[in-house]
Amino acid sequence: MFFLKIILLIIIISLSFFIQSVSAVNMQSPLFKIQYGEIGIAGGNKNSSNYYLSDTVGQTAAGQFNSTGYIVKAGFQYLHSIIPFRFSISNTNIDFGTLIANTPQTATTILTVSFGAAGQYQVTAIEEGKLRTIDGANNIPDTQCDGGSNTCNESLAKPWTSNNAYGFGYNISGNDIPADFIDNTYFRPFPDRAENEQPAVVMSSPNVGKNRQATMTFKVNISPVQPAGKYQTIINFVATPSF
Amino acid sequence: MKISKFFLLCLSFIFLFFISKNVNAQSVSLSLSPPLIETVIKPGKSILIAYTLINYADPVILNTKVLPFEPKNNFGQIKIKEKLEGPIRFSLDNANFNLGQNFFLKTNDREQLLLRIRAPEGTPEGDYYYTLLAETQPINTQAEKINSFAKATIGSNILITVTESGKIDIKPKITIFDVLPRWRFGFFGKKVNFFDSNDLIPVVLMVENKGKNLIKPEGRIILKGNFGEKAKFDILPQNVLSQSQRLLSATPTAELDCSSKSKFKACQSPVSLYISGFFLGFYQLSTTLIFGENSPQISASTSFFAFPIKIFIGLIVVLIIAAFIIKRLTREE
Repeated sequence: MFFLKIILLIIIISLSFFIQSVSAVNMQSPLFKIQYGEIGIAGGNKNSSNYYLSDTVGQTAAGQFNSTGYIVKAGFQYLHSIIPFRFSISNTNIDFGTLIANTPQTATTILTVSFGAAGQYQVTAIEEGKLRTIDGANNIPDTQCDGGSNTCNESLAKPWTSNNAYGFGYNISGNDIPADFIDNTYFRPFPDRAENEQPAVVMSSPNVGKNRQATMTFKVNISPVQPAGKYQTIINFVATPSF
Repeated sequence: MKISKFFLLCLSFIFLFFISKNVNAQSVSLSLSPPLIETVIKPGKSILIAYTLINYADPVILNTKVLPFEPKNNFGQIKIKEKLEGPIRFSLDNANFNLGQNFFLKTNDREQLLLRIRAPEGTPEGDYYYTLLAETQPINTQAEKINSFAKATIGSNILITVTESGKIDIKPKITIFDVLPRWRFGFFGKKVNFFDSNDLIPVVLMVENKGKNLIKPEGRIILKGNFGEKAKFDILPQNVLSQSQRLLSATPTAELDCSSKSKFKACQSPVSLYISGFFLGFYQLSTTLIFGENSPQISASTSFFAFPIKIFIGLIVVLIIAAFIIKRLTREE
C-alpha cells in the first residue's frame, strides 16, 4: 500500500511537470494581447461607441465625421493598457563634489519606465550645453573615452578607463539599453543641444513592461590645467511612448 | 537637565538628517495619460482633449509645450523637432496656466491638462504629428547648490488627420515579408531558407505607407506545414505614418534571449514575430493585410525548410565516439 502511494505520488508529480512544459510552449505571448477598446479619458464630446477608424474608414466613421466634424480616439485600442505610461528619475541632482585632476568622479541615477503599449517607447538624453562655468568662460569637454581605437562618440560607447583621458560622459546598464554599453567601462558623450546634435536614445523597447530600470552613471575627469570654478550643465531626459 | 539636553540633541540630529535628505535627493516620477491621441478633423473645427498628469515623487514645477515629431526609424521611434511648426493651433483651456507657463504639482497630486486642438479654416488636407510634453523645471536651490542636474520630460503623441470629406488616402505596400534564416542558399535564382528544427523562426514584416494619411494595417500571418499543420498569428494594428515605413508586430510571439546570441541575425535588429516549435520539412508563411472597409487588401508570402541538423550532427558524433570505443575495446581483448 505504501509503495502504491509512492508510485501514485510520482505519477502526479511527473504529470504536473509534463503539463507545465506543454503549456509553456503554447503560452509564449508575454508581450501583447489583443483586446478592444482601452479608450482613455480624452475629454470633450467624443460621442459614439463605434468609432474604430482603422476598422471602419467606410460608413460608420464617415457618418460620424460628417455630423461632428471630427473623430477622436484615445489610447492604444488594441491593448488593455493597465500599465500607464510613467517615467521616473531617482535623483535629479548630478553632484560630483569637488573635482580633482586625474581622479575620475562619478554620480548615478536610476531611470524607470512603465509602458503598457505595443510599438516602442523611448527615453532620450541630451545635454543643454557643455559642463561649463556660470560665466561661460571655461568648459569641460565631452569625453572621447580612451582615444585611438577606443574613441567613443554620441552613438557609440567605448571603454574609458584611463585616468589621463579627460571629459564628461555617461555609462548605462540595466533594462532596454543600447547594445554598445557592453559593461561599466563603456561610455559615451552626451549629444549637445548647443551644437545642434540630436538626442541619444538611452532606453527603448517594443515590449510592454512595468518598472523597466536602467542605471545611468555620469563620469567626469579633469586635467591638471582645468581652471578652477563651478561647472554646471543640465541633462534633459525625454520619455515618449509609441504612436 | 542632562536628559532633556540629550533629548534635544537627538531631536536636532533627526531633524537635520531628514532635512539634508530632502535637499540631496530630488526624485521625479510622472505619468501622462492618454499616451496617444488619434483624431480626424475638418478644417475650421476644434476639439478639447483632457490629459491627466500625475506626480508620484517630490513636489515639482512643470511646464508644458507641444512640438511636432517625425518618425525616426522603422521601429516606431520618434524624433521631436525643436520648434512648433505647421498650421494646427494648440492652447490649454486651464484657468491658471497656459502652454509654456510654469505650474506647481505636489507629491501624489494630479493636474488635468485641457488641450484644445484647432485646425484653422484653410488648413491643407494631410497629416500632422505632434507630441504634448510636460517638462520639469529646476528648483532655485537645486541650480545654486548642485553642479548639474537632470530634467525629466514625459510626452504623449497626437496624430491629426485633416480632411474636408472624411476620406482617408490609403496607399500601402509590403516592402519586406521574410524570415531571418540560419542559412540561406541560392538555388536556380531563388533564395532558399534553412533552419534547424529547434530554431525559433524570426519573421520580418515591414509596411510602407505611400499615402497622405496614416494607416493602421490589420491581418494575420499564417504558417502552413507540409503535413497540413497550420498556425495563425494576429498582426497588431499599429499606425504607419504618412510617407514612412514601419515594422509590424504579431502575436502570440515567442521570446528570444539575445544575451548569449548577439551574433544571431535575429538579435541584431527587431523582428515582427518569433515562431517556436519543432519544425520538419517545408513550410510556407503568408500574410494578408487590410486597412478598413473598402480599402485595398495586400498579401505576401515566403517559405523555409527545417531539418533536425543539430540532432543529426549529435548522432554522428555519438556514433563516431561509440565506434571508436568499441574498436579500442575489441583491440584490447
